[in-house]
Amino acid sequence: MPNRLELSGITKQFPGVLANDHVSFAVKPGEIHALLGENGAGKSTLVKMIYGIMQPDAGEIRWNGEPVVVPNPKAARKLGIGMVFQHFSLFEALTVLENIALGMDAKIPSRELEARIREVMTAYGLLLDPHRTVATLSVGERQRIEIVRALLLNPQLLIMDEPTSVLTPQEVEQLFTVLRKLAAEGCSILYISHKLHEIKALCDTATILRGGKLVDTCDPKLETSRSMAEKMIGTGLKDIVKAEGRGFGPPKLLVNRLSTSRTGHFDVPVDDVSFTVRTGEIFGIAGVAGNGQNALLDALSGEIRSEDRDAITIDGKGIGMMGTTERRRHGLCAVPEERNGHAAVGDFTLSDNSVLTARDRLGMVVMGLINSGAAKTYTGKVIADFAVKALGPASTAGSLSGGNLQKYIMGREILQKPSVLVVSQPTWGVDAGAAAAIHQALVDLAAAGSAIVVISQDLDELRTLSDTLAVINMGRLSPARPVRDFSVDEIGLLMGGVHGTVEAA
Amino acid sequence: MQFRLEKRREPSKVMLYATPVAAVLLTMIVGAIIFSAIGYDGVGAVREIFLTPLTNSFKWQDLGVKAAPLIIIGVGLSIAYRANVWNIGAEGQYIMGGLAATWVALSTHGMGGWWTLPLMMLAGVLGGAAYAAIPALLRTRLNVNEILTSLMLTYASVQLIYYLVRAPWKDPMGMGFPQTKRFAAEALLPNIFPGTIVHAGVPIAIIVALVAWFIMSRSVFGYQMRVVGAAPHAARYGGFSENKTIWLALLVSGGLAGMAGMLEVAGPFQRMVPGFPTNYGFTAIIVAFLGRLNPLGVIFAGIVMAITFVGGEVAQTTIGLSSSATGVFQAMMLFFLLAGDILVRYRLKRVAPQEARA
Repeated sequence: MPNRLELSGITKQFPGVLANDHVSFAVKPGEIHALLGENGAGKSTLVKMIYGIMQPDAGEIRWNGEPVVVPNPKAARKLGIGMVFQHFSLFEALTVLENIALGMDAKIPSRELEARIREVMTAYGLLLDPHRTVATLSVGERQRIEIVRALLLNPQLLIMDEPTSVLTPQEVEQLFTVLRKLAAEGCSILYISHKLHEIKALCDTATILRGGKLVDTCDPKLETSRSMAEKMIGTGLKDIVKAEGRGFGPPKLLVNRLSTSRTGHFDVPVDDVSFTVRTGEIFGIAGVAGNGQNALLDALSGEIRSEDRDAITIDGKGIGMMGTTERRRHGLCAVPEERNGHAAVGDFTLSDNSVLTARDRLGMVVMGLINSGAAKTYTGKVIADFAVKALGPASTAGSLSGGNLQKYIMGREILQKPSVLVVSQPTWGVDAGAAAAIHQALVDLAAAGSAIVVISQDLDELRTLSDTLAVINMGRLSPARPVRDFSVDEIGLLMGGVHGTVEAA
Repeated sequence: MQFRLEKRREPSKVMLYATPVAAVLLTMIVGAIIFSAIGYDGVGAVREIFLTPLTNSFKWQDLGVKAAPLIIIGVGLSIAYRANVWNIGAEGQYIMGGLAATWVALSTHGMGGWWTLPLMMLAGVLGGAAYAAIPALLRTRLNVNEILTSLMLTYASVQLIYYLVRAPWKDPMGMGFPQTKRFAAEALLPNIFPGTIVHAGVPIAIIVALVAWFIMSRSVFGYQMRVVGAAPHAARYGGFSENKTIWLALLVSGGLAGMAGMLEVAGPFQRMVPGFPTNYGFTAIIVAFLGRLNPLGVIFAGIVMAITFVGGEVAQTTIGLSSSATGVFQAMMLFFLLAGDILVRYRLKRVAPQEARA
């Protein structure tokens, strides 16, 4: 039997970067094939060429043995290639059925379409009411719409781009069941991810890209997560050095019945959240995206002020009604999830971005005037200490890659030596090498006596990093426990909204 | 052959300064073509409007006098626009500044002293700022768009002049003309160069621009304006209140427009007349953009705009061009500038047609 998909010598050049350099590999019918690599390794570009969004500069794509040119996504779908993107393209105000109908190339009467949707849903256990409005669905359910949309075309190859980044562990299991069933029926799956344990659990073959080049094609079941990670980043991976058996000091940050009010239509406010972080402790907050994490970070950073002074205290001092500047003076620094436009200003130089949050703590302002020399010196130190790839303090923040900008932002806050640091998604979209550096910096800061709150959707990150863990769901925080007392299943249930002792009973 | 816009990694510094120059050049070329097409001597019109004011040294003092209010108002607007606060009503704030100064001049008539002009200046600034406070209040309390409120208030202020100069402030010796009496000598701006019309407002404009430049580039206030305009969410994270910024932006731009109003009424006009609104407040919007929202750039932009005003008057007498032609040239300049601005962030890239189809 010929290979379902065969790439040979695929090359794509962008101004300044060779995104794909003679990449060749093959996907067999019914095979679940992982495409693995760091951010910027060229995975997305490669997949876009297979799906017809871009054209290769050189090389050949063979489909079931025949050489083909895929001029656009419509042609790709006609060949039998389906794709589920990382970011969904759904209209929140429309129903599931309407969303699927809008995405179809051919016009199908809605009754017939509904019948076919129900057929696909039952066949693969993708349970969903076609008449529900998308706005009421969870992220996992929304992803099912995209999968159903792709399956309606009876694809022979399904491309999944980072599908699990927004799912709970249970939802991930359900997704894997669907994918295994599809593969068993002969549909090939090209699975893009950087989560190595998922690839080990799911995939038959893994192709690893680094810097646009194919590094290795291997059997993930015969590799360790570590060996694959090292192939991905090209060097040995550094472990986080965390002193064992270190004790925690007295309570530093106390959050007591903190709530925020609802501001927008779809955002989730914080609802009666209480927790304590001690000196030297890293407190992790897990949760699926959109469960009040943003409101919690804003409420802690001071962008949203509380009406109760004692809703947040540092060393017993109530800071609940203070703004961000005052809170920083009291030692609380924060890093929001969105880097560009929230944690940093893309049009400003890095030096000017340092002024944004470090001006008071580091004395960059004298009599209303900015001491640009001090800002420059500090920025230079951040760049050097956190190995930020930038031309210098005068580069604009917008010219940095996501990972480098994140390193700069984390460095900017950590080098201020805050006594409390609150960070959201500290390594989101950051490559493994940079992520390890950021993790180590957080651990070192805690060891030096700061209290740290890490809000993240990445369970692996939280399990390696935090000492204590709680889960946020619909704005409510579960009771906190030492991280080693939690099983992944338990965390997953909490993330999905099953609150242990009370509701599950 | 096809072109595609491609985002630049960093905004182009070259384009940032080249597009205003290109906008002026394009205005001259297109202006010449348009006016030729409708039957005028197009090349002559462009020469009279853009070059005569520069080559004829008698016109230089006119340039200074016209440029001064444009620069002062333009500096204020450039500060507000940096913060994404769209004060379109500088004309109204200019009028209110002029009226407040007039009030001081009239009520101290005959008993003034060295303090009269500083007091008029203070009144002018406060008058302009107070008038800009109305859009600020509406925007921060009720979320009413300041573009509409500030613009509409301009028309209200024009009516206020008409009322004041026809009734309570009318000069009894004015032979029925709707105007106030001529200000006393202490309430008139001194001339800097004897024998010319260059008044104290001209050096004041330069000083205002230099001080504003220093504040915008070096102070926390300037930083606040820039960061709120560039990334409001980041500004909040950095501890800058958006409402406070809106207030500051409107008060500063209104205050400077009021200052220009005071300098005009105490300088060239010497009294309040119905013809006091001369659209300086609107033209200064173009000045602010042509000057790249940078106070130093505003000095040059103010001079360029003054050239078109003075040149427009020259062209009126020499080749019989309508006075609205000046407006056409100014509008073209803003249009080309805004259109050219896309090249600051994007570059034109030639693409193969076949790739564009895919």
